[in-house]
Amino acid sequence: MADTILVVVEQREGKLNRVSWETIAAGQAIAAATGWNLEATVVGGSASTLAAEVAAKKVAKVYAVESPKLEPYTPDAFAAALKQVVTTKQPKLVMMPHTYQVRDFVPKLATAMGRAVISDCIGFRHENGKLIFTRQMFQGKFAADVSFNSDAPWFATFQNGAFRGDKAEAGASVAPVETINVEIADNVIRNKPQEVFKEAKQAVDLTQAEIIVSVGRGIKEQKNIEIAKQLADALGGDLAASRPICDNGWLPMDRQIGSSGQTVAPKLYLALGISGAIQHIVGMKGARTIIAVNKDSEAPIFEIADYAIVGNLFEIVPPLTEEVKKAKAGG
Amino acid sequence: MLIFRKPIEGIERPQMPADVVIVGGGPAGMACALRLSQLIDQHNAEHPDSQLSKENIYVLEKAREVGQHCLSGALLDPRSMRELLPGFEKEAPLDAEVTKEAVYFLTQHSKFKLPITPPPLRDHGNYVISLNRFVKWLGGKVEETGITIFTGFAGSELLFDGNRVTGVRTDDKGVDKEGHKKSNFEPGYDLNAKVVILAEGPRGSLTKQLVNKFDLARNANPQTYGVGVKELWEVPSGRISPGEVIYTMGWPLTTKEYGGAWIYGGKDNVVSLGFVTGLDYPDPRLDPQRVLQDFKQHPFVAKLLEGGKMIRYGAKSMPYGGWWAIPPVAGDGWMILGDSAGFLNSARLKGIHLAIKSGMLAAETAFEALIKDDSSAAALSSYQKNVESSWIKDELWKVRNIHQGFEGGFYAGMFHTALQMVTGGRGVRNRYPAHAGYEHMRKLAELPADGGAEAHLLGPAKGDGKLTFDKLTDLYHSGTKHEEDQPAHLVIDDTNICNTRCVKEFGSPCQNFCPANVYEMLDDASQPNGKRISLNPSNCVHCKTCDIADPYQIITWVPPEGGGGPNYDGM
Repeated sequence: MADTILVVVEQREGKLNRVSWETIAAGQAIAAATGWNLEATVVGGSASTLAAEVAAKKVAKVYAVESPKLEPYTPDAFAAALKQVVTTKQPKLVMMPHTYQVRDFVPKLATAMGRAVISDCIGFRHENGKLIFTRQMFQGKFAADVSFNSDAPWFATFQNGAFRGDKAEAGASVAPVETINVEIADNVIRNKPQEVFKEAKQAVDLTQAEIIVSVGRGIKEQKNIEIAKQLADALGGDLAASRPICDNGWLPMDRQIGSSGQTVAPKLYLALGISGAIQHIVGMKGARTIIAVNKDSEAPIFEIADYAIVGNLFEIVPPLTEEVKKAKAGG
Repeated sequence: MLIFRKPIEGIERPQMPADVVIVGGGPAGMACALRLSQLIDQHNAEHPDSQLSKENIYVLEKAREVGQHCLSGALLDPRSMRELLPGFEKEAPLDAEVTKEAVYFLTQHSKFKLPITPPPLRDHGNYVISLNRFVKWLGGKVEETGITIFTGFAGSELLFDGNRVTGVRTDDKGVDKEGHKKSNFEPGYDLNAKVVILAEGPRGSLTKQLVNKFDLARNANPQTYGVGVKELWEVPSGRISPGEVIYTMGWPLTTKEYGGAWIYGGKDNVVSLGFVTGLDYPDPRLDPQRVLQDFKQHPFVAKLLEGGKMIRYGAKSMPYGGWWAIPPVAGDGWMILGDSAGFLNSARLKGIHLAIKSGMLAAETAFEALIKDDSSAAALSSYQKNVESSWIKDELWKVRNIHQGFEGGFYAGMFHTALQMVTGGRGVRNRYPAHAGYEHMRKLAELPADGGAEAHLLGPAKGDGKLTFDKLTDLYHSGTKHEEDQPAHLVIDDTNICNTRCVKEFGSPCQNFCPANVYEMLDDASQPNGKRISLNPSNCVHCKTCDIADPYQIITWVPPEGGGGPNYDGM
């Protein structure tokens, strides 16, 4: 009987990770080259529903691995479940996409079975009956041939983009789906997942801002940034800064403007307490109107400013904010 | 809180065996690789049954591209290149053959041309080149012969086994500002090599590690350095001809400082000019970038540059110590080349040809080591012997006391130099002693508050934006760029010294001697003197001045994550 390749597809919260199609495509390519059978498995909550999706592809069989202990995801549970599946079904090669989640559980899984993992492969070759995987070294400078010299099962993960997901062939007919209920003892799971960390709302894209109020070293202290924020709010604009402010952590890096930050070209750019070093200027010289406030009359910012206000920003900005508010209220 | 870069501990690193690892892809490293390749090709042609492979010979270059960190005036004496590649002039990127030289002594408003160009500064037969372009070309030849150059990889520490150097560890990538691994973390590789060749340029960081670990410099003079601050200008045509070479002494320096300027006419109306200041000046407020700006204001220079455009800026240190400051250059598993060893002729102000020759000699020893599979100290000592019996020694022997003669000031220096010229370099004694440059730095309390005669050299340049520039503007034109989120690679042993002692004793000279605005003292009410050291490591141009000049010797420059640094296109 031919050897089997088992592709472990990835899902999170009931949705298949698109990279799984790439792994299926890779599995299909290896199956074609070696003549081995290709099967796939989905692990975790909603496994059955997702298995049906996978079954539309050209695979011999799909396994839906279920257990209440698999939800939410923990590496211990996944490793335990897959170990049972692999021990029962005895595939020759287990393939996964090289995702964060896979990197979390596959080392446990492989070690539990006394095996190594060939990770982050970018390709493969089948020569003289031997399956050789290609992986990169020295940040892509070298490609290395790696192969297994142990018994099955073999574990390999594939780099994002190494194969094309849209090349995963559809099956002539829907593949059979087999449900596997795994038993996972309570004491196997050592992790207690907390609430999933939600990335902060989309980082600000200053390149889309029409009005920017920007602060430099002249703002002196972190708490004074509030003065600039008030002005920005009054104008309906965004807050930004030159490098030293962001280096100090007073504003996040995505608000930095300059050669090592963002380049912007808003309708209006207000530079408060910014000297105008060339590294900053190159990030904002495309602004249509530039107003600069600085107490140093020789500050280079004044060379490119349309309106130069030589004075103390702490005396100028608050009344300016008031005037803006009045003007907006008055209509 | 400043977190400094150091190799992550307690992790497993990929191990890679190597025959030869050359750290540094400059003229010395590339010449070494090329010569080694030639010897292997020759051997393989003659011994078809016992071939040597080039697959395990690597050059590590920390820049993203070959040549990107190479900066020099430069004038190339073709002697060693002709040995390495006869007929190289036909294909190498040479700007121009030197046509005329002039040496001037400047005062603030006028200049005196020396009636005779001093013999060391006669450059007929030499070429004006861009070292960056030259090394790019040479590197291309190295790769053509099948030797691998790893760009974007720095040598972060040497590997030892007792007294033997067993390899090089490359830099850890993907480490954040706090020293933690990022999602793209990749540990540095351990390259376990039979022969490690250090070709890091002036004040090499692995070379420093090696010298310190084995106290290699105990019988040598302390190495002394200058820092060259350079600008590349495009000037209206006709101002200076390609191949025209000008050296100046005197203004803006006083008799207390060592140094001078160069102006070389390149092709396409590009002028290379710069000022080298010896890093043994007494006033800690001296700013070498400011010195260059002052120099440009001299009527003679201002006229040359009028209407022109500054297109690139950079800085690099250079070793002045001469023959007596060179440590042993070969040992158990290691050899040192070029500026890292100190092979520079400070009278001729040339080192590239010596770097290339040293690379060739080391290659010959490395080749023997591979054939005999013996890279012990005894085997590699042939490199030391060959250097001592080569024209490297002949050339450097005659000028072995030049820089030391200037420790007493300009006039003392000129007297000793003149004496040395007629005594084959001996002067008043065979070996003049030397003091490390930072030992000459005086405390502020000993100096006039207003700077006295040196006032015009002190403090930052303001720049007019056309002829002269403030440091940040100049720095922008170095193209320097680094991964921002990484630990600081300027490792300061004890920042308390910066904030407590140095502020008072020397006035924080790091702000002045660094040509790249890496060091800043920020207001901080919580500090005893109201100031705190702050670093902008991503501004660094890898010149090593801080490692050299800091009066407390608490700064150690280590390579930042590979790939970062200046972009010395055309320099």
